Amino acid sequence: MNLSMRDAFLDELYDIAREDRQVIFISNDFGAPSLDKFRKDLPGQFIHIGIAEQNMVNVATGLAMAGKIVYIYSIAPFLPLRCFEQIRVHLSFKKAPVTGIMVGTGYSYDLSGPTHQALEDIAIMNSLPGMTILTASDSAMGKAFARMTYETPGANYIRFDREKFPSLYKEGEDFSTGIGVLKEGRDLTIVATGIMTHQAFKVADKLAGHSIDAGIIDLYRIKPLNEELLIDTVRKTKRILVIEENFVSSGIGVIVSGIVTERGEDLKIKRIGIPDRFISQGGDRNNLQRLCGLDVDSITRKTLEWLGKNG
Amino acid sequence: MSRDKMAELEKKSKWARQEILDMCTRAGEGRIASAFSCTEVLIALFHGGILNFDISKLQWDERDRFIMSKSPGVVGLYPILCDLGFFPDTELEKYCRDGSLLGPYGGNVPGDIPGVEAAWGSLGHGLGVGAGLALAGKMDDKKYMTVVLLGDGECYEGAIWEAAMFAGHHELNNLVAIVDRNGICTIDFTENCLRLEPFEAKWQAFGWDAVTIDGHSFNEIFNAFKDFHNRKSNKPLAVIADTVKGKGISLLENNPMGHIIIPSAEQLQKAREELRQ
Repeated sequence: MNLSMRDAFLDELYDIAREDRQVIFISNDFGAPSLDKFRKDLPGQFIHIGIAEQNMVNVATGLAMAGKIVYIYSIAPFLPLRCFEQIRVHLSFKKAPVTGIMVGTGYSYDLSGPTHQALEDIAIMNSLPGMTILTASDSAMGKAFARMTYETPGANYIRFDREKFPSLYKEGEDFSTGIGVLKEGRDLTIVATGIMTHQAFKVADKLAGHSIDAGIIDLYRIKPLNEELLIDTVRKTKRILVIEENFVSSGIGVIVSGIVTERGEDLKIKRIGIPDRFISQGGDRNNLQRLCGLDVDSITRKTLEWLGKNG
Repeated sequence: MSRDKMAELEKKSKWARQEILDMCTRAGEGRIASAFSCTEVLIALFHGGILNFDISKLQWDERDRFIMSKSPGVVGLYPILCDLGFFPDTELEKYCRDGSLLGPYGGNVPGDIPGVEAAWGSLGHGLGVGAGLALAGKMDDKKYMTVVLLGDGECYEGAIWEAAMFAGHHELNNLVAIVDRNGICTIDFTENCLRLEPFEAKWQAFGWDAVTIDGHSFNEIFNAFKDFHNRKSNKPLAVIADTVKGKGISLLENNPMGHIIIPSAEQLQKAREELRQ
């Protein structure tokens, strides 16, 4: 597929907005090639709010209170960090039907440095009751998220990567379960979201060379998390390897560990993510991943150590 | 406005202040001084016929939208809304108690308080939300007006000025911000904390019409709202209401620490007498 997940989403949302003039799109001075068409053809449904994220959430809330179905769109991490308290009050507490879209999960904006990287947004949004948190892992999913959030315009937070990824899903696939079981495994299950789901396939290939059969789960809906399906799937392998391009101190690994512990499951967990520090002057994404041990070789090596096998 | 009507509103203001005082002292919670500075403004809006609403049809499409952004003053709104029948007296009695709809900074429930679009507790949100409501009104060709009551201390929040810039640019002449200019935030006078003056000029610079009035004078309030539903200007309107924080009780009036004072039992008797005068 040639489209990025974001462009697939925006193309679908364009079609939806043409049919339903109640759909309003607000950008904080952040564009996309696929957004140009929306701006040109549907000027009455597009608002350029300026670089003002607090006002973006507030205005979106007012529009939603008047019956509009509102999408707010920003480069990460300014949504959700700059306007966190507005999201807390209006989307989480008061349940305003607004969907936040951020582009730039993890180290997407590698060269831009830590100010432009979203490394803790999952922790922050997961702390708010009633939010739906979605991470797209390919463009079929990106497209589906447009329809899903239109049909359930409750407080949604969508996370897009900046990069284009190979397809993992077919067009029209059902994304209602919140979890994609992409590969069955015997020895361990890799749990990932977004870009790391793709990394998981490379890691699984490497591990196969060491006679380790790894399954792969794409945790694309982080909240509400489908605990039953997660546990039913990982239980088969007894071991969970969580890999993520988030701070390991507060990412999906912590969430998954909490679920496993709470349920008293006899499962071993290894979490590999970004260590508890900002990395500046880290170069491009590949290099940043190497520096924090998130490249395929490092993940494989750490996994083998965990399993007590020598690489 | 007839003299009889004016006298009735004056009477309502006295009554409202008594109710607010009783409610807050009973609960031991509530920002009395903050509610007292905007009493006449709230009475004029709700009892004085400025705002269009239909008590039998709360979600009437063309109702004017009122947002209580100045959340510490929200206790001043409760007796008024109750008096108009938006909710029963029992809610006033339950104020701040288990299962109460009404809290000291606004609604305790997601659905908000009947009679207002929103009262959140958190400062700095109301003008942006009001701008969204006003913009939706323009998009849908509705005639309703949106009124947001702000505190002057609240205007330290940057989001207020993000919204002011937005509303000015989009020429939201269906949006009115009333600023309760009582001159005091929580622990000091605003001009000691950070200067807000020249305040009217700030709003004008953001593309608003601005007018400063005596916020305790019904004449001046009604004058500022005289063409409210038929505004000729293409700009949003800021009404800066010069007021006295704690108006009516000497213990609170213009006391820079009055924001958090709840009168003690001995002070209460004197306060009640002062309000009766």
